[in-house]
Amino acid sequence: MSGAGARASGLTRQRRRSAWLFLLPMLVVLAAVAGWPLARTVYYSFTDATLATLDAYARVGLDNYLWLMRDPVWWRAVWNTVLFTVVSVSLETALGLVVALTLNAHLPGRGLLRAAVLIPWAIPTVVSAQMWGWMFHDLYGVVNAALLGLGVIAQPQAWTADPHLALPVVIAVDVWKSTPFMALLILAALQMLPQDIYEAARVDGVHPVKVFFRITLPLIRPALMVAVLFRTLDALRVFDLMYVLTGNSRSTMSMSVYARQYLIDFQDVGYGSAAATLLVLILALATVAAITLGRVRFEAGR
Amino acid sequence: MAAVTLRGVRKSFGRFEVIHGVDLDIRDGEFVAFVGPSGCGKSTLLRLIAGLEDLSDGDLSIDGALVNDLPPAKRGIAMVFQSYALYPHMTAYDNMAFGLTLSRTDKRTIEERVRAAARLLQIENLLERKPRDLSGGQRQRVAIGRAIVREPKVFLFDEPLSNLDAALRVQTRMEIAKLKDDLRATMIYVTHDQVEAMTLADRIVVLNAGRVEQVGRPLDLYHRPRNRFVAGFIGSPAMNFLEVVVAAAEGGAVAVGLPGEATLQIPVESASPPVGTRLTLGVRPEHVGVAEDGMPATVLAVERLGGETHCHVTLEDGQRMLVRMEGDIPVGAGDRLCLNLHGETAHLFDDAGQRL
Repeated sequence: MSGAGARASGLTRQRRRSAWLFLLPMLVVLAAVAGWPLARTVYYSFTDATLATLDAYARVGLDNYLWLMRDPVWWRAVWNTVLFTVVSVSLETALGLVVALTLNAHLPGRGLLRAAVLIPWAIPTVVSAQMWGWMFHDLYGVVNAALLGLGVIAQPQAWTADPHLALPVVIAVDVWKSTPFMALLILAALQMLPQDIYEAARVDGVHPVKVFFRITLPLIRPALMVAVLFRTLDALRVFDLMYVLTGNSRSTMSMSVYARQYLIDFQDVGYGSAAATLLVLILALATVAAITLGRVRFEAGR
Repeated sequence: MAAVTLRGVRKSFGRFEVIHGVDLDIRDGEFVAFVGPSGCGKSTLLRLIAGLEDLSDGDLSIDGALVNDLPPAKRGIAMVFQSYALYPHMTAYDNMAFGLTLSRTDKRTIEERVRAAARLLQIENLLERKPRDLSGGQRQRVAIGRAIVREPKVFLFDEPLSNLDAALRVQTRMEIAKLKDDLRATMIYVTHDQVEAMTLADRIVVLNAGRVEQVGRPLDLYHRPRNRFVAGFIGSPAMNFLEVVVAAAEGGAVAVGLPGEATLQIPVESASPPVGTRLTLGVRPEHVGVAEDGMPATVLAVERLGGETHCHVTLEDGQRMLVRMEGDIPVGAGDRLCLNLHGETAHLFDDAGQRL
């Protein structure tokens, strides 16, 4: 600001001053609620602080990170999180597209349908996770009752306890919850598309499937990439769904659940902070990768 | 060969009928313009021919084959949209080639056809650009090129010039006229601009409220409008209409009383109405003469266009008229003029709007 500011007119300087003035409250709040905790977390990750001795700790350098690298449970959590993210975001994107395309068609009662589709997204995750937890209950759950009644399964399944079933169940609940969000973002993009090119395609004799892949999909790609990025970041820091459905179970533990377990249950603030810091790093990398890859694909056109 | 025939064509949206039974014969290689005010159904009629809308009733044949139930792509038509409707993510080349790549035309043929169309439209250097990097006129050419490469039997234009600025519109109009001669295909052209219709079309179809008012060659519509609607719609500035009363009638001519003593003899084609009948007299602004002696009028306002002068005048009984004079005439508001009308260039309409 200094160099340019010296040459800038009085009016420009005044505008800049008021801009900073307006920004200041937001910057202060951000620094207090996001910047400071983040800085403390990063700082603690290089110490042996515990929840009981937050003021008396020693600096241990990279020890926490080295331990973390050698912990198979951490790597299991990373794998769980990545698997959860890739599978749930892919399913949500595919289903969201289907729902959005359906809602975009001229159906009777479309407005009501749109509102109804949003309900899973509107329910707080803890509430919907608890609801699904009851539905998947091994003894009293409606899922077991229904599947037994239909003869699909021979004996009740421990949906959230069975290591092979728990992660798929968590993914299924997330898909149920987040598909509406995806559908809504895609629907907004679909409604921005010009209608005349679809008439041109009809005159050109383009098959509807080709219209989708050669016209609709390329045109909504920018919006789709944003939606996928949003969901990916959300999924990478998933916590409440796993915590409510399966607790600290290792078969579904995400990075966030792992960090919380060390921070709170084991009171190991230093180690937990290291896990949390790594999570932030992974999130940042994923964001950069998604933005770069997304943009490259978009500019490539077809 | 590619004649287009409409028989009793009707179209309803829900309970509203917007096309009330249209019969039309468009000959092979003919350039026909549909004109009419907004909401007259001209675009709907074109979309019915294109197959973008389904007929509610009647028959439509193209090139002798009934196409009522054929999808647009199978009708042998190509359409140029008002908004161009280019695929925004494809280059100009791909926009033109897209329809062909799907019909499994081989690559060499596609390339040849696209290059040929581009040469015709002088857009060869723009083929690698995307629509957002093209000007309005260039986009319009690409859209026309996309229609040409389909080698259709019938070209359909939906107000193709209305999104262009005035200068470009005149230029593109000339080019469409040239295209008409080069392609020798049947063309149907929708416009609300009667100048485009007059200059381009072999025949004009004047539509009003979902009905055909008149079909004819441009100058036939100008000189012999069938009714008051066509008379008012064709010609610019629009025709003057005066309320008059029949003063005398003899075989083949009617004399009507004009404001201020004078009468005017007008030849008519139908039976003469009885003396005293109220009629509407139509005179084009360019057919009103100014002389030493005649129907007195007072100038209300003057519009000077340089090459011509438009005078808004009031007659003795308060009715208003527009007089168009060649050149820059020195008249001003409040001046008194004497107007001369001529029976051969005047028209009489009965109270139903039909020309006598």
